[in-house]
Amino acid sequence: MDFGTIELTPEQQEFADEVRSFLDALVTPDVLEHERAHGDGFNERVHLALGSRGWLTPQWSPEDGGAGLDPLRRRILELELQRHRVPDITAGTTNLVWTAVDRFADPSLRDELAPRVADGTARFCLGYTDPEGGSDIAASRLRAVRDGDEWVLNGAKMFTTGAQNCQYTFLIARTDPELPKHKGLTMFLVPLAAPGVEIQAIRTFGGERTNAVYYGDVRISDRYRLGGVNDGWAVLHGPLDEEHSVGTASDGLADPSVGRSFLRPLEVALDETLAWARETGPDGSRPVDDPSVVARLARVAVELEAGVVTPGPMGRVKGSLAIVEGAAELLDLTGAVGLLSPGADGALGDGDVDFAHRWAQGTATYGGTVEVFRTIIAQHVLGLPRAGYPGSKVLM
Amino acid sequence: MDRFELRRQDFSLDEDQKALQTSVAEFFAKQCPTGTVRAAEPLGFDEDLWRRVLDLGVASMSLPEARGGDDATLVDLVLIAEELGRAVAPVPLVGHAVATRLLARAGASDEVLAPAARGDRVFALAPAAVRNGRRQLVPDAAVAADVLALSGDKLALHSAAGPAPHVANQGSTPLAWWAPDPGQERVVLAVGDEARDLHRAAVAEWRLLTAAALVGLTEAALHLAVEFAKTRRTMGVPIGTLQGVAFPLADVAIAVSGARNLVWKAAWLTEHEPGSRPELPLMAFDYAVRTATHGTTTSAHMQGGLGFTAEADASLYFLRAKGWSLLAVGPGENLQDIGDLITGTD
Repeated sequence: MDFGTIELTPEQQEFADEVRSFLDALVTPDVLEHERAHGDGFNERVHLALGSRGWLTPQWSPEDGGAGLDPLRRRILELELQRHRVPDITAGTTNLVWTAVDRFADPSLRDELAPRVADGTARFCLGYTDPEGGSDIAASRLRAVRDGDEWVLNGAKMFTTGAQNCQYTFLIARTDPELPKHKGLTMFLVPLAAPGVEIQAIRTFGGERTNAVYYGDVRISDRYRLGGVNDGWAVLHGPLDEEHSVGTASDGLADPSVGRSFLRPLEVALDETLAWARETGPDGSRPVDDPSVVARLARVAVELEAGVVTPGPMGRVKGSLAIVEGAAELLDLTGAVGLLSPGADGALGDGDVDFAHRWAQGTATYGGTVEVFRTIIAQHVLGLPRAGYPGSKVLM
Repeated sequence: MDRFELRRQDFSLDEDQKALQTSVAEFFAKQCPTGTVRAAEPLGFDEDLWRRVLDLGVASMSLPEARGGDDATLVDLVLIAEELGRAVAPVPLVGHAVATRLLARAGASDEVLAPAARGDRVFALAPAAVRNGRRQLVPDAAVAADVLALSGDKLALHSAAGPAPHVANQGSTPLAWWAPDPGQERVVLAVGDEARDLHRAAVAEWRLLTAAALVGLTEAALHLAVEFAKTRRTMGVPIGTLQGVAFPLADVAIAVSGARNLVWKAAWLTEHEPGSRPELPLMAFDYAVRTATHGTTTSAHMQGGLGFTAEADASLYFLRAKGWSLLAVGPGENLQDIGDLITGTD
């Protein structure tokens, strides 16, 4: 057990200073403005600049386009990226998908993409959710039919976040509707520039942009198949387990909770509310002079700390609950001024409490709903029996 | 606070900590089955078990070596307290360990400290400052004649001829009304700010160790409910397959895992960087208290009418969830203390 600070060697300190000054210069106010206005989870200039330093794939060797960073330097980089609020959704999905590409792609495709993932010019999004399938990814109906050396894709995917900034989507498709539900699926890395792919923006009230992607007679080479035909569920498992944080071991540096990033906007909102509470209000009193206000702020702070330390898949649910409930509570405390939009007369900070409350709702759905994670906890942590539903094994 | 500070986040136990955890868990599993817990009601004190707990050396182990201890840390103590809680053991270990550490920290003479370190007598801590000599409910005072209390600007050890009369209570703990008796023997340990700081630190330790005990208690209750949900059937399926049962139990597991980590982190920082996060032990207490209330309620309820019966072991955990939480300063006051620290209005 150890929660101590880490004394850096001069070389490590130099690296930390270098990262910080690089990001200070790189992440200009317009980057954050753009993110606030568009919710892309991505900024091309920033992404390519990080790629030029090997910091998109920091653990890769410099010969492979990475930076050869050890775990401590990777953690330093990660914390500075978070501190600078670097939009990171597309970087995250690219990393998730790479594990499957690395293992299952045709070697020539893998070798072609590796340097481009590293320099930031190749980016991947997740083509998991069918319009009618929700979190039940294996219920995918999007069809892929073989035609010689090609596959023809027809169907649609929802919530392909980042598709407008990616070159490929990691697509789950049904290749044999006659086989049992999980056995008739194949994974593809589909070039989004292929004719017949249409990306339509979907806005969320959390401020993010996601997409519906339509596939109309899209023809792709068999080269873009990942793993065996009808073996898609096994290919998907690596990235899915990583996203669900199943079976990951800690190096004593990483956040114990995969829901840690959910809590960042709550931290900002809480700090903003604490500052508000210390100021004298229009009625001449300070909110902190009211013990009920102090107690309610304390409760939000406790829930935040609990979220920070709750481990694994439990942390994912806790992180979401903490911001969903905590941001709503902070809004109730601040009253109407908390609702004011950024830039509006009298708005609190940059509208941080308003933003946290809206954005929080998405955390209950990312990577599968919190109910999916409760099911994982019930079965894999508590050992409760698995429910058998009519559509568990059969496509219905 | 820099929320992006580079720090280790290592929740693993080293070999010594694992060995301690295992040996204490085995001790309580063997020496304190639920029958022992019930037999000690309503006082909540099993003297034989207490002797055997003392034989493990737990009363003195966290004292400095110079004061006859083993330099064990607060982390070791929370590991022990969690196992004590899992067994809902009827022994006054939390209060006695906190009082003993307080005596040592206040520089009590060997003559005063030794009986506490050896466990010759039970020592207790009065959680609230004494005001105008008014009485207060003191945990363990029904089995402890020696009570550490803050009165005015003095921290003193009050030693009476015998413990105060027990008052029956929900958690079957040795709770008693206590007030300083002007005729009693009294050893002043500290005065002024030092006295107040020592008392505040001891109360924070009490809350932290109680939080650890509540984590163990809640996990034991959860375990009972999970086993029930695996075997109890309704309409042809185990009830644990139903989301209406599985999800509430998953929520308890989420809370327990977080409360444990919060307790560990608070213990480590209090031990190794005292003062750096003074709110954390109080936060761990707030979260563990709510986890225990919600977790034991859920666990009893998931066992339906059976879980509501007095003879179901679920009742042991449910009754002590509040029964232990409210002993040294209620959660409301604790929450106010946290708020004062984070808003800087203390």
